[in-house]
Amino acid sequence: MNDEQKPLELILARNLLSSISTPGFLVDEHNELVFYNDAAAAILGKRFEEVGRLPVEEWSTMFGPFDDEGDPIPVDKLPLVVALRHNRPSYARLHVSSLKGERHAIEVAALPLVANAGGFRGALAIFWPIYEGEEAPA
Amino acid sequence: MKVKLWGARGSVPSPGPETLRYGGNTSCVQVTLSDGTMIVLDAGTGIRNLGLGLETTVPRVSILLTHLHLDHIQGLMFFAPAFRPKFDLSIWGPEAPEASLRDRIARYISAPLSPVEIRELPCHVEFMDAPHVEWDIGPARIRAASVTHRGPTLGYRITEGDTSLCYIPDHEPALGTTLDELEPDWISGYKLACGASLLIHDCQYADGEYSDHVGWGHSRLTDTLMFAHRVEAERLLLFHHDPMHTDDFLDAFHGAAVSGWQALGGDPTSIEMGVERQEIDLTPAAAA
Repeated sequence: MNDEQKPLELILARNLLSSISTPGFLVDEHNELVFYNDAAAAILGKRFEEVGRLPVEEWSTMFGPFDDEGDPIPVDKLPLVVALRHNRPSYARLHVSSLKGERHAIEVAALPLVANAGGFRGALAIFWPIYEGEEAPA
Repeated sequence: MKVKLWGARGSVPSPGPETLRYGGNTSCVQVTLSDGTMIVLDAGTGIRNLGLGLETTVPRVSILLTHLHLDHIQGLMFFAPAFRPKFDLSIWGPEAPEASLRDRIARYISAPLSPVEIRELPCHVEFMDAPHVEWDIGPARIRAASVTHRGPTLGYRITEGDTSLCYIPDHEPALGTTLDELEPDWISGYKLACGASLLIHDCQYADGEYSDHVGWGHSRLTDTLMFAHRVEAERLLLFHHDPMHTDDFLDAFHGAAVSGWQALGGDPTSIEMGVERQEIDLTPAAAA
């Protein structure tokens, strides 16, 4: 166990992600991956409990991500990293490679978690698969 | 550290013949430290009786508000010492983005809801956001932390020497999760309550009542017991009784609580129901 009590905003975000079937990813104020839900695990290939907490250098690269041409997307262009570093919501369409080697096209929306009193607590991303023939919104 | 309950009821005052023994006044707990310093946890309607009985020689009281729902502040303008010119009143509470603590409380202590305005109070009153770091009141160390409830809500831990009181009267830590296997750092209020000499905790609902109240910000019995078990509280006091719960209901509720506590390995003498006017001496010699 990490001795530090998680801030309430992260606890509530995790509880929300645990309760929904939309894939979601949660990162704390230190940019560390602290949770993703079972719906995300179905796309990423492993449950969070098998992967564990990861620093930004690992979680931002271990699943790809790639653009439509198959080129790696720079870390600072990833929606979750934008939310973390620039404190604003962000959206992207991209491809990830699961830990089982499967490719998935997904859309991602990320938002920063800012406490009532203004403290930055981390960021939350939800994503969903795009199936062949589906178009991303303009 | 001495503790006295002046109101153990939740939501709304519920006076009447059905609630005579447990009491109908809303949340208010008096904490008296070893040097006489007085801290009051919440200002529900119970604070009225506290104020009426307070010696006029007491010069100062610090009130720690968990949140600003009416059952936690309704007694403020009936707190008699606030009408004494030489009385010092310090009020701490949760910060919120839209207005200061004073301005938010003034929505209640102002027309048309009140005949008195805060600025008319004769005492010296100050309002302060509870800080994110620990601070001292008299010989005690105070810690506040946000907990799961509706709106900005704090729990408090008061520590003097080896004695610690944790007060979380409105809390739904199992909302969207289960507490039995959750990692401790992910449990709302865990660090605040860990190993407390006495944990005063929300237990508004019986298990069968909870399904109609999920997300209302309060705990059912099973979750309160599991929370207390996980934080390894030395003593547990069930608090914030539902206004519909009569004395007879709460007697039976206590029996169910003791059974559940024992099933978790708890000592049946270490769990009790909050009762208005109940006094608990937590000083080590008295508590032993």
